[in-house]
Amino acid sequence: MEGSKTHSSESMPGDLSEALKEATKEVHEQAESTEFMKNFQRGQVSLQEFKMVMASLYYIYSALEEEIERNKDHPAYIPVYFPAELHRKTALQEDLEYFYGPLWREEISCPESTQKYVNRLHYVGQHEPELLVAHAYTRYLGDLSGGQVLKKIAQKALHLPSTGEGLEFFTFEGVSNATKFKQLYRSRMNSIEMDPATKKRILEEAKRAFLLNIQVFEELQKFVSQCHENSHPAQQKPELRTRGTSEAHEQGPAPVKEGEKTSMKHTDMLPSTPLARWILVLSFLVTTVAVGLFAM
Amino acid sequence: MGDSAMDSTLPTPESSVPEGALFSMTDVFLFSLIVGLLSYWFLFRKKKEEIPEFTKIQPVTSSVRETSFVEKMKKTGRNIVVFYGSQTGTAEEFSNRLSKDAHRYGMRGMSADPEEYDMSDLSHLSEIDNSLAVFCMATYGEGDPTDNAQDFYDWLQETDTDLTGLKFAVFGLGNKTYEHFNAMGKYVDKRLEQLGAQRIFELGMGDDDGNLEEDFITWREQFWPAVCEHFGVEATGEESSIRQYELVVHTDINMNKVYTGEMGRLKSYESQKPPFDAKNPFLAPVTLNRKLNQGGERHLMHLELDISGSKIRYESGDHVAVYPANDTSLVNQIGEILGADLDMIMSLNNLDEESNKKHPFPCPTTYRTALTYYLDITNPPRTNVLYELAQYATDPNEQEHLRKMASSSAEGKTLYLSWVVETRRNILAILQDVSSLRPPIDHLCELLPRLQARYYSIASSSKVHPHSIHICAVVVEYETKLGRVNKGVATTWLKNKVPNENGHKLTVPMYVRKSQFRLPFKSSTPVIMIGPGTGIAPFVGFVQERAWLKQQGKDVGETVMYYGCRHENEDYLYREELAQFHKEGALTQLNVAFSRDQAQKVYVQHLLKKNKAGVWKLIHEGNAHIYVCGDARNMARDVQNAFYEIVAEFGSMTQPQAVDYVKKLMTKGRYSLDVWS
Repeated sequence: MEGSKTHSSESMPGDLSEALKEATKEVHEQAESTEFMKNFQRGQVSLQEFKMVMASLYYIYSALEEEIERNKDHPAYIPVYFPAELHRKTALQEDLEYFYGPLWREEISCPESTQKYVNRLHYVGQHEPELLVAHAYTRYLGDLSGGQVLKKIAQKALHLPSTGEGLEFFTFEGVSNATKFKQLYRSRMNSIEMDPATKKRILEEAKRAFLLNIQVFEELQKFVSQCHENSHPAQQKPELRTRGTSEAHEQGPAPVKEGEKTSMKHTDMLPSTPLARWILVLSFLVTTVAVGLFAM
Repeated sequence: MGDSAMDSTLPTPESSVPEGALFSMTDVFLFSLIVGLLSYWFLFRKKKEEIPEFTKIQPVTSSVRETSFVEKMKKTGRNIVVFYGSQTGTAEEFSNRLSKDAHRYGMRGMSADPEEYDMSDLSHLSEIDNSLAVFCMATYGEGDPTDNAQDFYDWLQETDTDLTGLKFAVFGLGNKTYEHFNAMGKYVDKRLEQLGAQRIFELGMGDDDGNLEEDFITWREQFWPAVCEHFGVEATGEESSIRQYELVVHTDINMNKVYTGEMGRLKSYESQKPPFDAKNPFLAPVTLNRKLNQGGERHLMHLELDISGSKIRYESGDHVAVYPANDTSLVNQIGEILGADLDMIMSLNNLDEESNKKHPFPCPTTYRTALTYYLDITNPPRTNVLYELAQYATDPNEQEHLRKMASSSAEGKTLYLSWVVETRRNILAILQDVSSLRPPIDHLCELLPRLQARYYSIASSSKVHPHSIHICAVVVEYETKLGRVNKGVATTWLKNKVPNENGHKLTVPMYVRKSQFRLPFKSSTPVIMIGPGTGIAPFVGFVQERAWLKQQGKDVGETVMYYGCRHENEDYLYREELAQFHKEGALTQLNVAFSRDQAQKVYVQHLLKKNKAGVWKLIHEGNAHIYVCGDARNMARDVQNAFYEIVAEFGSMTQPQAVDYVKKLMTKGRYSLDVWS
């Protein structure tokens, strides 16, 4: 863009929206290339992993939205305050109830890196609220973009109902057009008054937000790999295909695997065709009768 | 019962029962039966659930894998293979549906993952009679193949195999917001042809930014007739078509259970409960309905809907959705021509019990209600409707005529375009002009699409009119080539909602759909509004709001309007209001073009170009936000071109740079569109 001859802060090269996109390009790619995200994009995500992600997101969004509410009248946040359109806490609660049952609050826990993220959100909200927009941008605009693709992947991989249960997080009821909403959101970001120093800090905070997200994925991946080492490793593809027969919200991958093993054992021992079955029962009956007669 | 009694009545087995035995034969028999059944229960019942899992693992662990899909098809008697390039599973789902469809047409299909087969086998597919390869290819990222289609893509690029004899069709899944829209679908379609294969149906291009499912269904509905025609196969071979729903007539039903036009909950129009939305509209009374134009043949109107007590909130720039009703005389004529009792109470129940969609529209209801409130009877019917109806035309020529229009042959398409589309024939017109066509009314109700809500840009500001939503619309009414008069459903219906002093209130079922069309956050930011004709609607709201902000003592920036109409003295909408705002200073610039008041046409874009320097200054130095509302086809594009010109000239940029500059304005939310076609 051509250099401007005026002093107005808005026409300074680099609207916040453009500066943010540029500054976070690299970390964005980094986040997409974490092992966890790569697997997810291939549809290789288990129910257990997905539930853990949702739980972490719940802690993160609860903190983020708590701080947003605290700062909803702060001049550095008001322009981007869109609770009805964006806020995810309620949706996450619904999803967690779907996956964990009514006692979900007792079932979930906050992993270390998620706690770090949460702490940072509270710190920013309470001490440096002008940076809060960096966190809102990182999460919400991402959810409205790639998040939609992830929704479809999760729906297929986990065989979730097409009516949307378990995926409320990905569904923005208040946004009729994601593209237009993002455009509106950017114009709002760009209307926040800030000096160059603050702008710089916002860019740094956005990068930090991405890194915090990456750490959450990496910790999750570590946990998942440990789990896989403990139980028998099954090939990824067959796991997906067999999961279709199990109840999505009753079992996780570990129980399914054990089920597979026991069923294999069973079928080794007993015949499967109906005829053979009946012959066996009949002979058993006859044997019992004979034994009984003999015993008398 | 005594033992001895039992001993004498029961047939004794070969071995005699010793005297004084504790258990009789019956007991032993019953005991073993129970034990046998219990054993059966424990050992075999669980297995029923586990066996499916076992058999599904088997294919993976078995070492022999059939990588030739042609061999597999020969073995299983299939002639159609549907390959999918899928990342999120959508293409795979479409592929499954297509392969299942084949059965309807006396063919057998199978869905296949290109990653699991040797795709060079395509050159052998013609060994199977009437074979066909269909491809559902999704485009990923920047025009890339999906992971499972990567090998296929590489093979297509490198190979020089001769695919003569191979018949194919491609449906692409893409998203228009991405630059390389449907690149993969397009590539496969083109490349297969280059390699000598024969395309038997045009490339389908689904747009996930619009409605991918609908695009798929539309393509599929024309695809199969084309396939049938190509192979000389009749759909299912018989005259009867596949009904999705079953008609149930209710002779003795409680009227409280019958739908009378509600969109969602039964009786929701009688007992209204917030929150109000698409499934639960609010019946807003019409408080004002006046004609806006002074002359001319058209009827432009301004309506005010009272939303007090509804808890409905809106922002200027939002849309109001209304659920209209069809013209009663049109409904009556359909009933008459089909000889149906429109007041018969019926339900159409889905034959597929697993489907979420139990009925095509709220049931039980009457045909009259369905045709009035639930079904679209004014748009020219789509080809699939014609195809299904054709079977009821008793005259063979007329049946042929309908079938031809529904086919995808070039001749058929041309015929459909000229006979249905260009003449704007609606279903009644078709029934009138095809006199031997008299379908049963319930089948017709199954085929017609749903009546859609209509959206209007709200013409008021909630700051000034918190309990009232204003609408500005033009009544659609025109004469077709055949001399019939077609009327717009919602605009005609709204036109007749004229409140009178006494008598009950006329209401409009409505709800608000939030838009992203918003005034800038800071009132000091200049706005340039371009809204000719009824496109002025949201800007009436915008200007009302800017005036209100001014009254509140806020610093309000330049508020610039570009409006256009045909004749100054005929259809200059809101002339007095705009003049008033201009006088008060809420509207800082008012530029109006009267297209037909002089020899040459003068439109808003011409006025824009007269103020190039001023417009550029506002954009470049003032951070102005631009808003365009109205006709999508020509006006929006012409206005955008005018901006390219202004930016290029005064910003000293090349045309591509100027285009880029304007596109960036859009991304940053500084150039917003609310356009319709």
